[in-house]
Amino acid sequence: MKTRPSFSVKNESCKLVAGLAVLMLGLAAGAQTHYAAQPGGASVKIDGTSTAHDWEMEGHIISGFLELPAGVSWDASQTSIPGLQGNSLHATVHARIPITCMHSKAEHMPEVMDRLTQEHLKADQFPRIEYVLKEMTFKGPHAPGKPFEFDTKGDLAIAGKTNQVSFPVTIELQDAGKIKIDATVPLKMTAFGVDPPAPNIGLGLMRCGDDVKIIISWTLVKR
Amino acid sequence: MACYGTVNKQDNFPEVNRRSFLKNTSLATVMAMMGGVELRADDAPKPAAPVEPALTKIPIGPTVKFGVIGLGARGRDVLKELALLPNTPVAAICDNYPSSMRRAGNNDAPKAQRFDDYQKLLACPDVQAVVIATPTPDHREMAIAALKAGKHVYCEAPLAHSVEDTRAIAVAARDSVKLVFQPGLQERSHPQRYFLLPFIRSGALGTVVMTRAQSHQNTSWFSASSNPEHEKALNWRLHQATSTGLMGEIGIHQIDAVSWFLRERPVAVTGFGSIMHWKEDGRDVADTVQGIFEYPDGANFVYDATLCNSFDKDYEMYYGTQSAVMVRDAKAWLFYEAGAQLGGWEVYARKDDFYTETGIALAANATKQTAIGTSATAAASPWTPLHYALEAFAANVGQRDIAVKDFVDNYGDSDLKALADNIKALKPYAHAADWQDGLTATVLGIKANESVVKKQKVPIEKELFDI
Repeated sequence: MKTRPSFSVKNESCKLVAGLAVLMLGLAAGAQTHYAAQPGGASVKIDGTSTAHDWEMEGHIISGFLELPAGVSWDASQTSIPGLQGNSLHATVHARIPITCMHSKAEHMPEVMDRLTQEHLKADQFPRIEYVLKEMTFKGPHAPGKPFEFDTKGDLAIAGKTNQVSFPVTIELQDAGKIKIDATVPLKMTAFGVDPPAPNIGLGLMRCGDDVKIIISWTLVKR
Repeated sequence: MACYGTVNKQDNFPEVNRRSFLKNTSLATVMAMMGGVELRADDAPKPAAPVEPALTKIPIGPTVKFGVIGLGARGRDVLKELALLPNTPVAAICDNYPSSMRRAGNNDAPKAQRFDDYQKLLACPDVQAVVIATPTPDHREMAIAALKAGKHVYCEAPLAHSVEDTRAIAVAARDSVKLVFQPGLQERSHPQRYFLLPFIRSGALGTVVMTRAQSHQNTSWFSASSNPEHEKALNWRLHQATSTGLMGEIGIHQIDAVSWFLRERPVAVTGFGSIMHWKEDGRDVADTVQGIFEYPDGANFVYDATLCNSFDKDYEMYYGTQSAVMVRDAKAWLFYEAGAQLGGWEVYARKDDFYTETGIALAANATKQTAIGTSATAAASPWTPLHYALEAFAANVGQRDIAVKDFVDNYGDSDLKALADNIKALKPYAHAADWQDGLTATVLGIKANESVVKKQKVPIEKELFDI
């Protein structure tokens, strides 16, 4: 009887240590890395064509986050990314761009293009362009000191219509836990049910081309 | 050029020089700038089509609900112009004099809520933006209170009666990053001015050697009232205690225009002034003034204003070694010196005779509806400078509100510096003066008036403009 308590205590201590170890391992295994959008770290450009001249819109707001799965870490000096499943990176990315933050770069009457863009993208009903990542494939090997390169697939929602889109992405690791994502997304407006704007300005009617490029530069910070 | 007195601020207008201006200005460009209306010198001028202002305006931005504080003559002008714009309903008006309230409310803003205290108007949640059209000394308190209440502010010029008050308003405006603050420098929103900028800044005049402007009126500025207290209040412009004189109250617009066009600021002013005619009403503000503004490069500006004679009204002159430009009534003319290098486009421009000189009309017309009229005196635009200024204010307010909402919705509002940077990256929808322009112009007007009163040269230190 005398030994039972001491045995019991030892047994309980072992259980406690084991439990803590499991918990710590579990925490380590489950520690996702979260990168959040920050003000001043975003640039979105839309390049388009028209019957008159090329046009450009620009905005500086992208909200959202990127989350790396547990066990994945990246280092700018390495050629590979530890923790990938094959070449797949099961990251989570949500990105949102308010349509009203996009402004025409035209010298004259930029407000006309802004208004037409908001009308054609139905900004009243669908105020944001939204993107959700579905697949991300490492294109490795990574050249140390250069950005990591990936192919991506995801759902892009514009003006109430969602399409799957594929485009390459680079991710540059920066100081202070920051990463910079760069991507160029070619699109057809009509694929999202959007009629290309036709502003009646200047000396006549101008019609925008169907093909546009969305050029994104997005800096996120580790939280 | 010496940097002392130079206006370093960028004004979002592209840099131009004479060579690139002449090289890049094709006939077609000039024709387009002139509204696509071929104005051959030997053509018989065509009458301008009639314009229905309220029917032809397209709103530049979303609807902005206004409050107007001060319902004297200027406040009523503001209400009339707001009524012509399609996106500027007046939600509230304010004046502490009942008959002014009745007159403006019944005639110009019948649907607006009425307040006899501006603080009550500022507390009105329907009001997004206010126009302050009260006597100058009231501006400081009202403008700062309005900004604190979260209202966008259009404050009539001059901003204030003293340099201290002007700087206080400028600081409040600078720090209100979510809000638009526009001083009532209405010419800064006029399309004609932006048409002229490349001519003058490119060096098309040659070397600018001097500038001159005048404002000639035949009016006493005196307003009579059966109520002595009200009469005293009405005539605030006639007394030094409350007025910045002719220099500050009316000269400010032309003083501002010269500094803006030449991108320089005067370093000293010598003023003169006397009560020459209106001696019976007890005023101590001169009814006739002259001033010489010294610019760092020696191209000085001579200004005169009188309430005693209306000959030749208001205009500005820019004199260069190649040509001179006259600006008046939203129109302008170029007068070449003999032997000056021509651009080639002049043959398409209308010519107007001025005694022994021939002026080449420089006009900004967007459509045939606003085409230049049949004579040198015909209106070049159906809209007043105040109209353009209020339209620009509403457009920029709408744009700012959306930008702030986008930022706050996505990033929150704790990082004001980031918000300010985001706003700074935004190109305003419409040309308009900002708090820095208001500070500069008001201080110049105050200093010129000080020189008139002291009858001596007054330096204009650059520190006055640093905040």
